[in-house]
Amino acid sequence: MTARHQMFLNTVHEINTSGSGVAMTRLTAQMDFADDIDVLNYALTLEHLEAAFYELASSYELGEDPFGNSINDYVAMIGQHETAHVDTLTQVITDLGGEPVARAEYDFGVTDSQSFLMTAATLEGVGVAAYDGAGAAIQNPDLLTAAGSIVAVEARHAAYLNVVIGMSPFPSAVETPMSKTEVLDAAGPFIVSQ
Amino acid sequence: MTTRDKMLNALLTSTMNRRRLLANAGIAGGSIATMGAFGTAVAQSMDSTPMAMEEVPFASPVDVLNYALTLEHLEAAFYRDGLASIGAAGITGLGFQQSVFDSLSDIGAHEMAHVETLTQVITQLGGEPVAEAMYDFGYTDAAGFLQVAQALEDTGVSAYQGAAQYLIDEDELLTAALTIHGVEARHAAYLGLLNATSPFPEAVNPTLTPAEVLDIATPFIVQ
Repeated sequence: MTARHQMFLNTVHEINTSGSGVAMTRLTAQMDFADDIDVLNYALTLEHLEAAFYELASSYELGEDPFGNSINDYVAMIGQHETAHVDTLTQVITDLGGEPVARAEYDFGVTDSQSFLMTAATLEGVGVAAYDGAGAAIQNPDLLTAAGSIVAVEARHAAYLNVVIGMSPFPSAVETPMSKTEVLDAAGPFIVSQ
Repeated sequence: MTTRDKMLNALLTSTMNRRRLLANAGIAGGSIATMGAFGTAVAQSMDSTPMAMEEVPFASPVDVLNYALTLEHLEAAFYRDGLASIGAAGITGLGFQQSVFDSLSDIGAHEMAHVETLTQVITQLGGEPVAEAMYDFGYTDAAGFLQVAQALEDTGVSAYQGAAQYLIDEDELLTAALTIHGVEARHAAYLGLLNATSPFPEAVNPTLTPAEVLDIATPFIVQ
């Protein structure tokens, strides 16, 4: 496990155990974003990161999950979903007259199949927490519904990857939202250039 | 065949048939549904008229929460009673490890926690929380239990998604609902695995309107 990878995991752990959670997120969500396009670009930033990450998957032999399925097959499907999210968000931001953020360059610090799966599980967990934290900032009901239909899939991914790494697929009765600052702090170390 | 039997048959089916059920309820493929939602949003953003509110199915935030509570009661009772009658032996009898029974028990505990939280919040808001009803889920064995469980969880995820927009002016309640929605999606994914179907069948999760959800859930409610 590389230093960058460890730093990411530590940051996420601190956020998830610090109790900064729901109350602060609720208070700041509206202030964190100028408008719906801003929220969508925030989501797109994370979807770009995830889509790029899963391009690494084919380099690793990931084995079978506890139910006998090929992990590589399901991870490839997850990658396709993230790419679909990127395409959809890019299109919608453009249609709304906004400028979609571009894909950056990333270094995920993945060195083997284990660190790949650990990072995947963490990225999906952060994705869910990010959408949940930003949901209250969305003003247009239809965009809120659409964002909901994406975050549900991120949560499904997160559950599967937790199963794969031997953790509970649903560690808590409720998700822990993260603020924009928390998410960008967590994701920042992976982004080497914009 | 009674209506209830028809609904049970529809729910006790594979993913492919489940999709057909959703299609019958007016839901196209998930991607189409979401693109439709995005498309509508785009159209509305270019239209100066305010959001049309003529079809709002809830009179108040309490109504939205009671809608969620109705579903959580259904789920909580399903796991509480079902796991008690099937027991760990019923689950391991399907070839699963004991840990699968434990995870199903965790899901049951989550649903119970959702019931308690929603009941408390509705009461705090001055509303009257709906009570648990009597249900008949129609399964006859452990395998049937797992299939109904998946149908209930998938419906739950889609229900929260469809109702979230009615909390758009209630930031705290909306965020709380979203944090439950994500956990329902995790449950649904896990049950997909147990039923040997994809834990994430589509890039976007289908959304159900309250009317569609009540059509699906009502046949389970005996009283």
